[in-house]
Amino acid sequence: MTWDTRGPAAGDPFTPDRGSGLAAVAAGNPGERRGAVPGPPPRRRSPSALGAAVVTVLVALHVLAWQGTGFSPADLVRGWRGMADFIGEAIPPDLSWPVLGPGIQAALVTLYIGLLGTTFSVPFALVLAVLGARTTAPNRWIYQAARSLLSFLRAVPDVVFALIFVTAVGLGPFAGVLALIFHNTGVMGKLWSEAMEEIDLGPRDALRTNGAGGVQVVAHAILPAVVPQFIGLLLYRFDVNVRSSLVLGLVGAGGIGFLVNQSIKLFRFDQMATHLLIVLVLVIGVDLLSAAVRRRITV
Amino acid sequence: MSVSPGRSAGGTAVADRSPSPEAVPSLSITGLRKSFPGRTVLAGLDLRIPARGLVAVLGANGSGKSTALRCVVGLEQPDGGSIRLHGEEIVGLSGRELARRRSRAAMIFQKIHLVQRRTVLDNVCAGALGRLPLRHSLVPALFPRELREEAMECLHRVGLADRAGDTVGRLSGGQQQRVAVARALCQRADVVLADEPVAALDPAAATQVLELLSDLARGQGLAVAAVLHQPELARRYADRVVGLARGRLAFDTAPEHLSERDLDDLYAAGEGAS
Ligand SMILES: Nc1ncnc2c1ncn2[C@@H]1O[C@H](COP(=O)(O)OP(=O)(O)O)[C@@H](O)[C@H]1O
Ligand SMILES: [Mg+2]
Repeated sequence: MTWDTRGPAAGDPFTPDRGSGLAAVAAGNPGERRGAVPGPPPRRRSPSALGAAVVTVLVALHVLAWQGTGFSPADLVRGWRGMADFIGEAIPPDLSWPVLGPGIQAALVTLYIGLLGTTFSVPFALVLAVLGARTTAPNRWIYQAARSLLSFLRAVPDVVFALIFVTAVGLGPFAGVLALIFHNTGVMGKLWSEAMEEIDLGPRDALRTNGAGGVQVVAHAILPAVVPQFIGLLLYRFDVNVRSSLVLGLVGAGGIGFLVNQSIKLFRFDQMATHLLIVLVLVIGVDLLSAAVRRRITV
Repeated sequence: MSVSPGRSAGGTAVADRSPSPEAVPSLSITGLRKSFPGRTVLAGLDLRIPARGLVAVLGANGSGKSTALRCVVGLEQPDGGSIRLHGEEIVGLSGRELARRRSRAAMIFQKIHLVQRRTVLDNVCAGALGRLPLRHSLVPALFPRELREEAMECLHRVGLADRAGDTVGRLSGGQQQRVAVARALCQRADVVLADEPVAALDPAAATQVLELLSDLARGQGLAVAAVLHQPELARRYADRVVGLARGRLAFDTAPEHLSERDLDDLYAAGEGAS
């Protein structure tokens, strides 16, 4: 009835018992060999050799990364004047209404992008989560297909989706909404499918013996058990998506990110500071709201 | 034995099908085999549950009681043998016909397995999902009015009609188990398989649940098989007692003939097996 799940989701909290079982077997083999001949204690050569190798590789990687990114604290120190100019121009922020008004309006658009992007991904995430959870998938092929699709949507960053949709539907918030729908379907679908894999399967089995079909079982046994987790994850994703939609604005998908980008291009750092302040208020507001609601649900 | 009073549609159907209900047992298991990797659990089990009355199923842990019941309701796939519900074979069948034949057997679990966040009534209605089209069952709000009335009637039969609107989580364990029985009734089952239905309940609640089951079995013509851990309960409530040992039938006897030796052998066999 259950099947092996080796796939893109190697790090999933899937079957901890199985994982630890394998680890135990792997660890047990040398032990058995040692135990067969009681003699000198085993040498501890391998762990420390392995450790040294790991450290060496890690250090080498960091050196390469340092060079590859042109990492240079000296440049930062030398550039303090530029930073100071920048901050000097940004403070005080331009809080005049001609800047503040459009800023607030654009922030609302950013909020709307996050809202629609989250809401419209719900049906797709739900279907893929049901098909991609071991407890509800009709068979392993559909399960694997759904998992792969979720992995793909998750792997492509929303900014990349935004760039694609900007070329398709033009500059503006709609491209941002589409980008969020795609990416968020991948993330939320995975989170939801994991929530469904953790529930007690008794009610599901009971309804199956009642003769209930797959959709009925999901609707009457699985979903009622995960509603609080689903809502909590939905709010968490809304929070993340509002912040993402800000970045989407930087690549032309509307909202206040777009204004931030513009003010930088025009060297109007005082206006940029205003926009960043608005962003700060927006992000904190959404964060507080979603945290408050989530707390009420879980308690 | 007379025709069942016809309170449940299923009970009437049994009478229609065969002139003498006792000739065809409601559930008849023959030579049932089931193995899990590295372990044979059912080794040719024979079991007969008559059309009216409560059969207590005894056996040591691991003797295959749960596996046998789970094979009947489709939670396990038997390797071989025969399972007949009202004379109709279900092993080797699939699809709609299997669902139809199996719809008259319901299972009650030790862990009850109700949906905690839903109301008592919605849980009972869920027993009818097998015969409801999706447009009437996608969410509880779509359940038809007749179904709600039928579910209320089922709740009345288990004595919990006054709790219909409560969330299941607010009920005691014994009450929840009776709701599970009501769900089985709402499924229109006339074969009820109860796997340790009172093992998790306190003695008073256990008594209530067993009295309910034996009343349904004797008074309303259901065929009830209940896995019990206490032979005293079997003696008190059962019309017949069967013992399982190592996946086979060890005895099938009237409760008044259940001897201490039978029991000692039964539980000793279990120890030998494990
Ligand atoms: N899904 C399963 N996979 C492997 N072994 C199982 C499974 N279900 C039951 N068993 C084993 O089958 C044996 C009989 O189990 P069960 O039918 O539950 O016995 P009982 O209900 O009589 O205590 C037990 O040893 C159990 O470990
Ligand atoms: Mg059992």
